[in-house]
Amino acid sequence: MGDSKQSRTFDAIVIGSGMSGGWAAKEFCEKGLKTLVLERGRNVVQPKDFTTTNMMPWEFKHRGEIPYQVRKENPVVSRCYAFREDAQKFFVKDKEHPYIQDKPFDWIRGYQVGGKSIMWARQTQRWSDFDFEGPARDGFAVDWPIRYKDIAPWYSYVEKFAGISGNKDGLPNLPDGEFLPPLELSCVENYFKDFVAKNYKDRNVIYGRCAHLTQPKQIHFDQGRSQCQNRSLCQRGCPFGGYFNANSTTIPWAQKTGNMTLRPFSVVHSVIYDDNKGKAVGVHVIDANTKESIEYFAPVIFVNAGAYNTNLILLNSKSKRFPNGLGNDNGLLGKYAAFHNYRATINAKYDGFKDTKTEGGRRPTSAYMPRFRNLYKQETDFLRGYALTFYSGRWSYTDNSGVGQHLKDNLLAEPTLGPWSVGSGMMGETIPKETNFLSLDDEKKDAWGVPLLRINIDYDDNDEKMIKDFFEQMTEMYTKAGFTDIKTNDSKQAPGLDIHHMGGVRMGKDPKTSLLNKWHQFHNCPNVFVSDGACMTSTSTQNPSLTFMAMTARAANYAVEQMKKREI
Amino acid sequence: MDRRSSIKTLLILSAGAAILPSCLQEEKKPSVAVKNFKINANEEDMVASVCDTMIPSGKTPGAKDVGAYQFALMMMDECYSPEQQEKFMEGLKDFDNFSKKITNKSFTKATPAEREEVLKSVESKKEVPENVAFFYNSTKKLTLEAFTQSKYYLTKVHVYELVPGKFYGCVPVKKAS
Repeated sequence: MGDSKQSRTFDAIVIGSGMSGGWAAKEFCEKGLKTLVLERGRNVVQPKDFTTTNMMPWEFKHRGEIPYQVRKENPVVSRCYAFREDAQKFFVKDKEHPYIQDKPFDWIRGYQVGGKSIMWARQTQRWSDFDFEGPARDGFAVDWPIRYKDIAPWYSYVEKFAGISGNKDGLPNLPDGEFLPPLELSCVENYFKDFVAKNYKDRNVIYGRCAHLTQPKQIHFDQGRSQCQNRSLCQRGCPFGGYFNANSTTIPWAQKTGNMTLRPFSVVHSVIYDDNKGKAVGVHVIDANTKESIEYFAPVIFVNAGAYNTNLILLNSKSKRFPNGLGNDNGLLGKYAAFHNYRATINAKYDGFKDTKTEGGRRPTSAYMPRFRNLYKQETDFLRGYALTFYSGRWSYTDNSGVGQHLKDNLLAEPTLGPWSVGSGMMGETIPKETNFLSLDDEKKDAWGVPLLRINIDYDDNDEKMIKDFFEQMTEMYTKAGFTDIKTNDSKQAPGLDIHHMGGVRMGKDPKTSLLNKWHQFHNCPNVFVSDGACMTSTSTQNPSLTFMAMTARAANYAVEQMKKREI
Repeated sequence: MDRRSSIKTLLILSAGAAILPSCLQEEKKPSVAVKNFKINANEEDMVASVCDTMIPSGKTPGAKDVGAYQFALMMMDECYSPEQQEKFMEGLKDFDNFSKKITNKSFTKATPAEREEVLKSVESKKEVPENVAFFYNSTKKLTLEAFTQSKYYLTKVHVYELVPGKFYGCVPVKKAS
């Protein structure tokens, strides 16, 4: 039953069900296309598969800690801050899905319906033309084929549906969006905001825009979601649908149309290119459980497997026409991969506002400083710049010294409120270059017969200079603001732990120097689209998921139009 | 006479005769199933005594009531490295010698006041062998975790709110009345 080619033929195939794939699924299904969504991991249905979401701290056997044996066998994922007992089941274990690190790279992944959208950090800042024009102005990578005006309406489109909390700040370098109300900043955050505005031209501290329903609208209720309760347990999946993830928004929305066929446990081996027809015709899938080989067909294929898995699939999509991977005439597939530099942090104390504190919920965002370095002109000895977080809090502490009744009395007493702590984390733009690349191993394959990915990505001198500048600028701002006990830290963490994997299948105007056109189509295979992180020509500093979502909605709607016109 | 009391009688008789064979002692199995290192029932009792001395039970629950020593051993077993487990066990054995130096007694035989005195000596950090310090510090860390992350503590002492709701960014600190 159902084994005829016809039953395996759809109007569209979407590879991946996460942050961007979910949007392709939603757009296609809403427009009436019979859509096959392929996901290599298991299904995760909210709320029933968010099994830890309502657990109390004492209900976790190890109180959140990951057992030694698991850490030993999975050193990469164990370095991820969110890989804890409550969310560990959403992370890929290195041992189960090996890859080859030509240089140290922490490839953090989530193989399930919803992908990493379940555990993401939910920061959603728009790009501006200061970002899109970066490569052309500063002479690296290639010029983006799109500008802010192309993507702006699609930012609005996805923001309204996803629900983004923000403040209209009126900044040219971080355009305003369709915002639900912001949460409050603390007194110290407001103080620093005012201090920076007064003392630094073109530097701003704002409320970090985030994908949380601070005041849900009808469209969110229609999705079955409700108000964010400031639990900050988002990595477990939310029983309220208080933040955006594919599982509580795009995927069920697509499902509701009756047009989606969601196929979990589907490892995509390659995109099938028909040399006779001169176009891509489908996808070669290996069933994750039975290891059966199955082919699915559709006139349009969206590859949203997560940036580096997207690269892997495309590099493995070999045909007579494309012996080196799909669309790879210029040999650039897999190259110019990039990420965000998250190595540098700074923290300090503040002696003021001793009579105030925060109260109630655990706010799921912080304050944010958009990039100010090299914004209007090149002013440092490194290219581009960094955005940063700014957070504050007063930690309560208990005196744990001593033993016996003395210790017990201390533990039962009201904790002492400490001074205000402040801190910032750098989010640095890295420059994509040919020497940062992904490739396939010639021999080693995974359990499904797919070649292992080799990752060859490293920091460079530009990144080191940027870290130094971050420390200098932040130390100066913190000192002038009256913060004390300032400590800087370079974690020296490997690339990848930022979980902002990008590039390898970059967009551009010229088929000789890029893979995708301004609509995310391969220049030379226009019925295959890439709109996850792999398509990024440059990285800028913003947390990229919102941009992937907007790009995907834009590309999917374009694909539908083109199909109607029989252009693809 | 039921079986349990007959065994007890036998033990008393044997002890009275001062011929308690060591094999009989070892027959008492530790109650926490530790998989990755070896600990016998006496050593387990010692860990329990240390935990209970740190946060004593009384009018309100203490370490014993929240299962602190069981938690500590489970965590040592599942979340610590083999090297740490080895150091923990060496420290545990030396801890008893440390105790004997202060009270002339094995820790488990000491009075509650003497036990507290021993722990205070370790806290003083004076002339404490490194592995004893490791045993003590890891046991204390885990006891504190067991206690402050227990259902009792998070529902009766400092209430954990799973669904806190509204966030307030800037409120006055209330003066203690």
